[in-house]
Amino acid sequence: MLNSKHIDQLRRIVGKENILTSKEELLVYSYDATNMWQHLPEVVVLPSNVEQISAILKLANENLIPVTPRGGGTNVSGGSIPIKGGIVLCTTRMDRIIDINKTNLNARVEPGVVLQDFQAALAEEGLFFPPDPQSFSGCTMGGVVAENSAGPSCLKYGVAKQYVLGLEVVLADGTTMKLGGLTPKNRTGYELSMLFTGSEGTLGVISKITLRMLPAPKATRTIVAVISDVAVAGETVTEIIASSVLPSKVEFVDNWTFEKFRGLLPDEILDKSQVILLIQVDGLPETVDAETQQVVALCKSRAGEVRVAEDQAETDRYWQARAAHFSDISSRAHTIINEDICVPRDKIAEFIKLGQESAKKYDVPISFAGHVGDGNFHPVVLTDSRDKEHYQRSLKCVEEIIEIALSLGGVLSGEHGIGLEKQRFLKKAMDPAAIEIMKKIKDVLDPNHILNPGKIWEETSDEE
Amino acid sequence: MKSSLDFEQIDRFKEDLDKCTKCGFCMSYCPVYQEERVESSVARGKIMLIRALLDGELEATDEMAEQLNRCTLCMTCAENCPAGTNVPSVIAAARADKVRLKGLSFPYSIIYRWLLPRRRLFGYVVRLASWFQGIFLPKTEGSIRHLSFFLSALGKGRHIPQIAHKFLRQSVPEINSPPAGVEVKYTVGYFTGCMTDFVFPELGEKIINFLTRNGVEVVVPRGQGCCGAPVFLGAGDFDTGRKMADVNVKAFKELDYIITDCATCASAMKDYIKYLADNEERKREYAEFAGKIKDITEFLVDMVKLPPSAYRVAGEFKGKTVTWHEPCHLGRYLGVKEQPRKILQSIPDINYIEMPDADRCCGMAGTFSIYFYDLSRKIADKKVASIKSTGADIVVTDCPGCQIQLIDSTTRHGMPQKVMHIMELFE
Ligand SMILES: Cc1cc2nc3c(=O)[nH]c(=O)nc-3n(C[C@H](O)[C@H](O)[C@H](O)COP(=O)(O)OP(=O)(O)OC[C@H]3O[C@@H](n4cnc5c(N)ncnc54)[C@H](O)[C@@H]3O)c2cc1C
Ligand code: SF4
Ligand code: SF4
Repeated sequence: MLNSKHIDQLRRIVGKENILTSKEELLVYSYDATNMWQHLPEVVVLPSNVEQISAILKLANENLIPVTPRGGGTNVSGGSIPIKGGIVLCTTRMDRIIDINKTNLNARVEPGVVLQDFQAALAEEGLFFPPDPQSFSGCTMGGVVAENSAGPSCLKYGVAKQYVLGLEVVLADGTTMKLGGLTPKNRTGYELSMLFTGSEGTLGVISKITLRMLPAPKATRTIVAVISDVAVAGETVTEIIASSVLPSKVEFVDNWTFEKFRGLLPDEILDKSQVILLIQVDGLPETVDAETQQVVALCKSRAGEVRVAEDQAETDRYWQARAAHFSDISSRAHTIINEDICVPRDKIAEFIKLGQESAKKYDVPISFAGHVGDGNFHPVVLTDSRDKEHYQRSLKCVEEIIEIALSLGGVLSGEHGIGLEKQRFLKKAMDPAAIEIMKKIKDVLDPNHILNPGKIWEETSDEE
Repeated sequence: MKSSLDFEQIDRFKEDLDKCTKCGFCMSYCPVYQEERVESSVARGKIMLIRALLDGELEATDEMAEQLNRCTLCMTCAENCPAGTNVPSVIAAARADKVRLKGLSFPYSIIYRWLLPRRRLFGYVVRLASWFQGIFLPKTEGSIRHLSFFLSALGKGRHIPQIAHKFLRQSVPEINSPPAGVEVKYTVGYFTGCMTDFVFPELGEKIINFLTRNGVEVVVPRGQGCCGAPVFLGAGDFDTGRKMADVNVKAFKELDYIITDCATCASAMKDYIKYLADNEERKREYAEFAGKIKDITEFLVDMVKLPPSAYRVAGEFKGKTVTWHEPCHLGRYLGVKEQPRKILQSIPDINYIEMPDADRCCGMAGTFSIYFYDLSRKIADKKVASIKSTGADIVVTDCPGCQIQLIDSTTRHGMPQKVMHIMELFE
């Protein structure tokens, strides 16, 4: 497959500073933020422009070399792992914010722009891009679109796809294609931008992104409620939303992550509680005041402690503690199995209850956290892959939890994507006819299956 | 394949490796990653490389050393890592194991193993260099000249200050008492560091005057040597580093406080115990030694508790706008963040303005800036942009290493700012 001639050709395309071939340099592109997957690429290229991406894909397509697109490598589904070797095409050096247009409320970016840098540039203009995966400090805009990412703010504002106006995409044969436009409305033909949004790098390489923006909210306030019981917390959330307040964020962490909140909230309350809810309301100052009071009143009847953050510093500390959840929970066990189910909001309490029962049945530790406001949970089972018996029990528990979510009308993945990690559940979670259509779309756009091969659905032997 | 025994030092910090959850947060903090945008620059990548080294998947090759050395040890990743991973410790340890396995490479082997530990001889070589510099090298902007000889090899043609005509040790007595009529509140040892001794002796004199005037007796032990940072942290030579540590411990044995004007020296000396203590006796001695070390601003604010009126700004700096660069070793290593700002904010004779990202690494990092000069310059360019945005007349800091980097980079950009040590502001 890939030989030294190809490497020379790639070197000529991207320049010698933008190609990595040493064992050491390859090793660091063999993983992402998942726990159990790792595979070495044969070469890493860091293109600087769309012409280079096109030339790389053309070469790869002609020589049947697998290409795995990669941004920050922060996904948690194995999406950017070059499971078949070949080329990792990393966009981190295409990190230009092309323009931000305040009148049109849109912005154009290259795929390697880091979300946090983009958010900072928008903030200077008084603008706002709501999707806020908690990996914002490392994930790229290309990754955000390719995973159709979301985050706490998506409760009120929706996920990445709601902000994609247009894309420039390079197809497997090297063809560059422009989709969508600059306007918020566009009814020209099929919504092809949406086909690539959430495609996990399997249909094309996104080389430019046009996004819709919003004016930044004038005021925000954070309310923290510490609640003794998981199910009660679920009911509280359901009740807040039913009361016609739509907070911008409602996040949930359970007592596995309380350490990060020590010093911020009273120990005696934390010690006898199971859940912290972090709620943010935003809008005009008057609205924020009124909604804060309403949320506080609703929480008070159920929570051991309710706090309204007094200033930005206090607010930041709560949200930093929330953002640290993944790391915190990951560091508690040798192996974690991190799921990403999403259930209808009125099933939150029931889901948690059944999930806990399942964990009890299989006798494995479980943590629940996530964007509870939109029913998106990350149940994490803590295990150790070296302990075969425990690990098997954990896998069974995870499988059961996914079945519970599906039976309650939920979905397999709310935001992380399928990648490698969740393909074994795909058949349960998606209509077989729809899986067939996905495969046909893949055949049309990437007939040689060079783009991120081995992802999303399990391959049958004739596909390999 | 190497056995884990070959990585004796890394093994001691294995816990720091195991903590990393590969979340990738460090990408937004790492000054090296910000420039290079490749995974091997960032903490997560370095951890995975070291894990592969320990697993025997990769070997301690030169390429491996190159990847691991591309780190300023600025600690920003460690400060922000939600899992509490400390990469700089592991990298320092990895350097040590590499040295044990492969030896040091010339010409650094001569400088590190042989010259730096011999303080007097080092002084002579520096002196020799300063004569050559006057004769052979062109004058650059203002009073700043290219350093010659091996120091210029170290500096790779930076705009750095010339070697002083007279070293500090030659111009001040060993014991400096407060003037008649001023009560002695403290007696302290002054660790002068190589830079203050050889390059900025007037800073040392200023500090001694300032302290004695304010009731602090200052002892400058003649037996002190280089702190060892370039040797054990930069080059990973723990054996030589240990000898240097013992020299300093002995020199300050009788004193209760050790004052430094160089954040790098202070944190390196506090870290003797972490890296160099190889037996119980050294553990005890190094712990006791570490407890005595105080940065000058920390000492003045927390212990002497001087009133703002004691900070008499020198005439030429009155009315100037001053900004502050926080050295990594001061803020993140020693945890001294508020004290210098308290001083600067309290004095009425200057106008203090905080620069954006004041605590961002300047890219000097000793050995790093020698091996990776271009990268080091790019990191410095970000700092220069911060300085520029303040419109300040003067940039002060608390580490002569940073000072050299800032002088070099402001000069390169043709900027008017004067770069000084914070204590140089005062009479
Ligand atoms: C601590 C932590 C918290 C997280 N929190 C959230 C969260 O709250 N919400 C959420 O939705 N996700 C979350 N994630 C998951 C992840 O960070 C997001 O999916 C993120 O958007 C991935 O971006 P990336 O640049 O790292 O992409 P990568 O991981 O590099 O790639 C992700 C996928 O996109 C493809 N891809 C990348 N760039 C391109 C391109 N230019 N063209 C085509 N395909 C491309 C890759 O092939 C891969 O399949 C979290 C991850 C971590 C580690
Ligand atoms: S070093 Fe810390 S911040 Fe970086 S990937 Fe590891 S856990 Fe995350
Ligand atoms: S210590 Fe600084 S330079 Fe080194 S990996 Fe961490 S953030 Fe990067």
